[in-house]
Amino acid sequence: MKVTGGSMDIEVLLVEDSPGDVRLTQEAFRDANSRIHLHVASDGIEAMAFLRREGEFHDAPRPNFILLDLNIPKMDGREVLARIKNDEDLKTIPTIILTTSSAEADIAQSYQLQANCYLTKPVQLDEFEGVVKSINDFWITRVKLPQQR
Amino acid sequence: MLAKDPIEFSGVPLPQPRRLLDVETEATTAVRDSAGRKVAEKHLAQMEARYRGLLEAAPDAMVVVNQGGEIVLLNVQAEKQFGYHRDELLGQKVTNIIPEGFAERLIADGTRTAAEALAQQIGTGIELKGRRKDGSAFPIEIMLSPLESADGILVTAAVRNISVRKDAEKHLAQMEARYRGLLEAAPDAMVVVNQCGEIVLLNVQAEKQFGYHRDELLGQKVTNIIPEGFAERLIADGIRTASEALAQQIGTGIELKGRRRDGSAFPIEIMLSPLDSVEGILVTAAIRDITARKDAEAHLVEKVEELKRSNEELEQFAYVASHDLQEPLRMVASYTQLLSRRYKGRLDSDADEFIAFAVDGASRMQRLIRDLLVYSRVGKRSLELLDVSSEDSLQQALINLRGAIEESGARVTHDPLPRVMADEIQLIQLFQNFVGNAIKYRRPGVPLVHISAARNGGVQCIFSVRDNGIGIDPQFFEKIFGMFQRLHKREEFAGTGMGLAICKKIVERHGGSISVESLPGQGSTFCFTVAGSNNKS
Repeated sequence: MKVTGGSMDIEVLLVEDSPGDVRLTQEAFRDANSRIHLHVASDGIEAMAFLRREGEFHDAPRPNFILLDLNIPKMDGREVLARIKNDEDLKTIPTIILTTSSAEADIAQSYQLQANCYLTKPVQLDEFEGVVKSINDFWITRVKLPQQR
Repeated sequence: MLAKDPIEFSGVPLPQPRRLLDVETEATTAVRDSAGRKVAEKHLAQMEARYRGLLEAAPDAMVVVNQGGEIVLLNVQAEKQFGYHRDELLGQKVTNIIPEGFAERLIADGTRTAAEALAQQIGTGIELKGRRKDGSAFPIEIMLSPLESADGILVTAAVRNISVRKDAEKHLAQMEARYRGLLEAAPDAMVVVNQCGEIVLLNVQAEKQFGYHRDELLGQKVTNIIPEGFAERLIADGIRTASEALAQQIGTGIELKGRRRDGSAFPIEIMLSPLDSVEGILVTAAIRDITARKDAEAHLVEKVEELKRSNEELEQFAYVASHDLQEPLRMVASYTQLLSRRYKGRLDSDADEFIAFAVDGASRMQRLIRDLLVYSRVGKRSLELLDVSSEDSLQQALINLRGAIEESGARVTHDPLPRVMADEIQLIQLFQNFVGNAIKYRRPGVPLVHISAARNGGVQCIFSVRDNGIGIDPQFFEKIFGMFQRLHKREEFAGTGMGLAICKKIVERHGGSISVESLPGQGSTFCFTVAGSNNKS
């Protein structure tokens, strides 16, 4: 299997405030790829702190990619996305929007802000697992990403 | 020439007979001055002949009476008028035909001489009674003029039968009384206005409505009570005559403002109608105080607004509720499914059963909420009707239904379908629901579904989706289009009971109608109408 960064673990930042969704995502990734380390930030401020290795996150790994919900507390997902994509260091990290919103406005705005792709959370469990599996298959297995510093 | 115009008007001095009289007086003077009796008689005969000619030419009955009150001359009209032959009257007392007034006034007036009486009466019409040979009386007007002759002063009387005019006057008086009665009986304020815009008649309602006493309004300008619009529309319109303006306005209600005596204004509606009278065209205005109606209208508009707002709020509520409910429900459904998957057979059989019910309940609720969301979205989105190919929409619906079609082995056919004015997404949804139902509610055997369309005379296209399925009992035709309405147990047919409610809402949003024809066991045909496109496909 071809894996980014050789045999190293794959670091993923999940920005999600719903514990239920966090756990579901964890379960789904565990089934899809056991080498994935899922780090969780439950709001936008925390997500930025993690990415910039601030405070308690001083030794946080740089994630291979980010799963970002749009509707999160303190700092909105759109704001988080804008900050990531305006940051010379962070902008190369693939950022995937994973949200319940299927509003045209949200989709358009996300791509304007240079989201790498936009996915809606399926209602059914097996479909949700399918989405997680395809994220793994594509973003972890298929995609070539720039060399990590 | 004699008394042609003048006698038509009562009470108007008559110049014509007088001029005639002057001429004749000259003639008679000439006669008197003549010396020889023979010559005089001849002259008289000549004059009589001439005078008779004039008498006969007169349109009125003419009778010449001497100082003895005897008739000495009369014309054909007099014969006719009184029903006598000439010979029966000549030499008779004039009182035979004009029993009273004539003699009294002229001849037999003891205190005045005939000449004096004459001088007083000449040129004035006197209304008296005439009596015919058969004894019947009739109203007359007579004009008297003196005629000097060899036999002394004669009196020429022009006698006009005025029974027609009398009748007309009586009729008119009655009419006026009746008209006034009508005015007073009218439920509306009524005002009659002359061409100068002055009020000439009004009823009690008008007094009440405008707060004036009758006398305060009679003769006043109508603009005092209807400041604008009345005169402008009718009389003072420079480019139209009053009658033209009237013709245009008659029978149409005009909404204007009325002004009460206290200066307060109120909304009125006036209906105008012309009234031909001796004073020219009058305008009768029926004036209705429409304050209550105006208030009701405003109230209605307010209510409609309120209803619209509450409807919008309800739709917003349905949308938000169904959208926000989805989130926690997704958790319930996902975790019960996860439980079921990981722990099936590892707990006891009760646990497996309980979990199965939880999973089923959660997924049914998800479908309900999803359909409720679809339903509320149909109303929420502002509809943009575009010229679309209904055939393409059907094809897209069939692609969406591919699974169900393949699984059931259904044969779906259609006629050529027209271009229509529709929201394409909703049109696809419509076909998808109808064809989906046709396949779902099938009987054993190959499900057959046929879609056709026809122009409904004008702009509408009628679509029909016919199947050979289980059919529907007509008693449920109304019910099936309601929200969450189901005719079957879940074990028979799954579903939320929202499909046709969504169809109905889509069709109604497009300004169309929806209906069903069916009999149990004989298939169903669902019909709906959508506005056709002007472009030929």
